[in-house]
Parts: sequence; C-alpha cells; structure tokens
Amino acid sequence: MVEKQKNTLALFYCQNAPESGEIERQALEKEYGRSIRLFPIPCSGRLEPVHLLKALEEFADAAYVITCPEGACRYFEGNQRAKKRVQMTRSIISEIGLEPERIGIKVGLKEAPKSLKELAGEIFEDISGLRPSPVRGCDQ
Amino acid sequence: MITAERKPIDEIREMIAPFKKVLALGCGSCVAECASGGEKETAMLASALRMAAKMDREDVQISEMTIDRQCVNEFVIQLDDVIDKYDAILSLGCGAGVQAVADMFPEVPVIPALNTEFMGETKGQGLWVESCLGCGDCMLYYFAGVCPLARCSKQLLNGPCGGSMNGKCEVNPEVPCAWQLIIDRLSGFGALDRLEMIYPPKDWSKKQGTGPRKIVREDQQR
Repeated sequence: MVEKQKNTLALFYCQNAPESGEIERQALEKEYGRSIRLFPIPCSGRLEPVHLLKALEEFADAAYVITCPEGACRYFEGNQRAKKRVQMTRSIISEIGLEPERIGIKVGLKEAPKSLKELAGEIFEDISGLRPSPVRGCDQ
Repeated sequence: MITAERKPIDEIREMIAPFKKVLALGCGSCVAECASGGEKETAMLASALRMAAKMDREDVQISEMTIDRQCVNEFVIQLDDVIDKYDAILSLGCGAGVQAVADMFPEVPVIPALNTEFMGETKGQGLWVESCLGCGDCMLYYFAGVCPLARCSKQLLNGPCGGSMNGKCEVNPEVPCAWQLIIDRLSGFGALDRLEMIYPPKDWSKKQGTGPRKIVREDQQR
C-alpha cells in the first residue's frame, strides 16, 4: 500500500542505524512510493552539504539524514559531523530564502533506539507543514 | 597558504545578475584546503545559486568546474576549451586567482565569490590562523620561528609589552602572546641572546609602496 505524501523526501541514513537493512529499505519504498528517495551511507559523517543541496535542487521538498544513535557511531564522531553539516546546509538555504526546516537530522537514542521506519514517519510528520518546494515548483 | 571565505550569497547574486551563463570556477589549492573554494564548495555554491535562480524564475545557467590552480597560467589555460560557452566566470579562487583568470581572458568578466583573508596555516580541523604578512624581509630566525608582525597584536619587534597574562595576549585573551612563544622557544634552544639586539623599525618598502611586487628568477625562465 503506497501512502501518498504531500512532500518528497530525500532520506540519507547511516547503515548502522537500528533496523535499517535492505529489507527495511524496501519496505519503506513500498510504503511511501515516489514520496521517498533513500540513500544508505556507510556513516552519516560521509554526508556533505552538497548531497543535501543537490537533493533539494533536483527532486526533494526536504532532505534529511538519520544517524546512528548518539554515542554509538562506529567511527566515533560521524553523527557529530553530520549535525554540523546539516547546520551548515541550513544556513546556506536560509541565505537563498528557503525554509531551513527543509533540511534536518534525526539522531536516535542509544537507550531507546528507533527503527528507520519509525524515524521516517516522524520526519514526514515534521515536514508535513511545509509547502511544496519553490525550487521544484518551477519545474512543474 | 592563502585563506578566504565565501561572500554572502546575496552579494554574489547581485554581481552575477547581468549574466545568463555563468561558470562557477573552483580552485583546488589553498582555498580548497581552507574549505572555501575547492570542488565541494564550488558545487555547493553553484547548487545554491541555481536554486535561488529557479525560485526567482530567472533564466540563468550556472555550471561548475574546478581547476588545480587559478593563479598559474598552465592550469588556467584549461578554460580555453569551455570559456566561449559563458558570459561570466564566478571565481572561487583567491584574489590572485581571480586576477590570473581575468588576465588570461580579458574579454570575459571575472567575478570574485570569495573574500581573500590572509596567509596562514591550518591549525586544526576548521581552524586557520594568520601567520605571515609577506613583509619581504623574513626575520623568523631571530624570533625562533614566531613572527611578531603577524602574531603579536601590537606588532612589536622589541617585545614583550608586559601586558600578557598566562601566556595570552592582553588585546585579545584568546590569542597566545607571540612574545611568550618567542621567549619560550628561544629559551628552549638556548638562544635568548638573540633578543639582546635592538631591532629597528621594519622597512616596509619591501612589502608595499612601490606597486605590485614581483619575483624574477632567470633560472626558472625559458
């Protein structure tokens, strides 16, 4: 059953985040259909602002990253770096007049880990108030 | 290395506004090291500018390219193959890079996307610090490898001023006192006697006042 969302989400996620394997990825794609584009990455520290910007430029209304839980990064500080890069990207899109909420990050808790599916649902909830991206609007 | 920071996007947009086809040109040397004008930063800026143009329904084409060094003609010449496609170049090089590109292509407007800051060193991840003024008469031997002109807030050649506290500058307590560093280092290798000399005021004519400086090396020429 494909759940139609108003906004298209580019979702980058750490492959070490809880319940974020191939089966979960396929299930998410099935659930959200064309509303979601998933980008598994070996560590959220690999994420660069340009990845988020390109997603917004080319197809997404919002671009988010899900990291592994705080204190559980297998590369020690990947999720810390991802946070800073998300902040940097937010400041860039603010400069051009886009809402900073179009870029975001979800960092799970080690004590209460959430699955990819749960976090994706929360993100769709978070971005539900956003209008379709004015960048994409011009393509349509 | 030469450090720089990106200009505000609004300022850049204003400068490129008259042009329809713009090449954002990165530089893979100093400004890549200080994360302001390398390949990544060029891609980020070009993407942001394209999005801004789309939002304002402007018919602009912004492409991107990065060459190894904008300040060396042998690299700039790579633009020969593509330059005809563009109305303007948005350079993410330092001031020297912008001018080298402009010199080679006098018919094309070259717009600076960065503010060039200083000659410095990478002190840590995301931290660059000024360390050389390019005075043309290096005195680092006498000062144990610490330049009082670049690193002492008062630019004292005959320091210390006596105002530092716990090794920090009284002008800016975040800055290590250059003279504390000089004395510590000279003491470390038993050369404090170098400070018995009185250093006369700097001869700034070697830095400026006679137009742009140049270095001519016949052994390097054809």
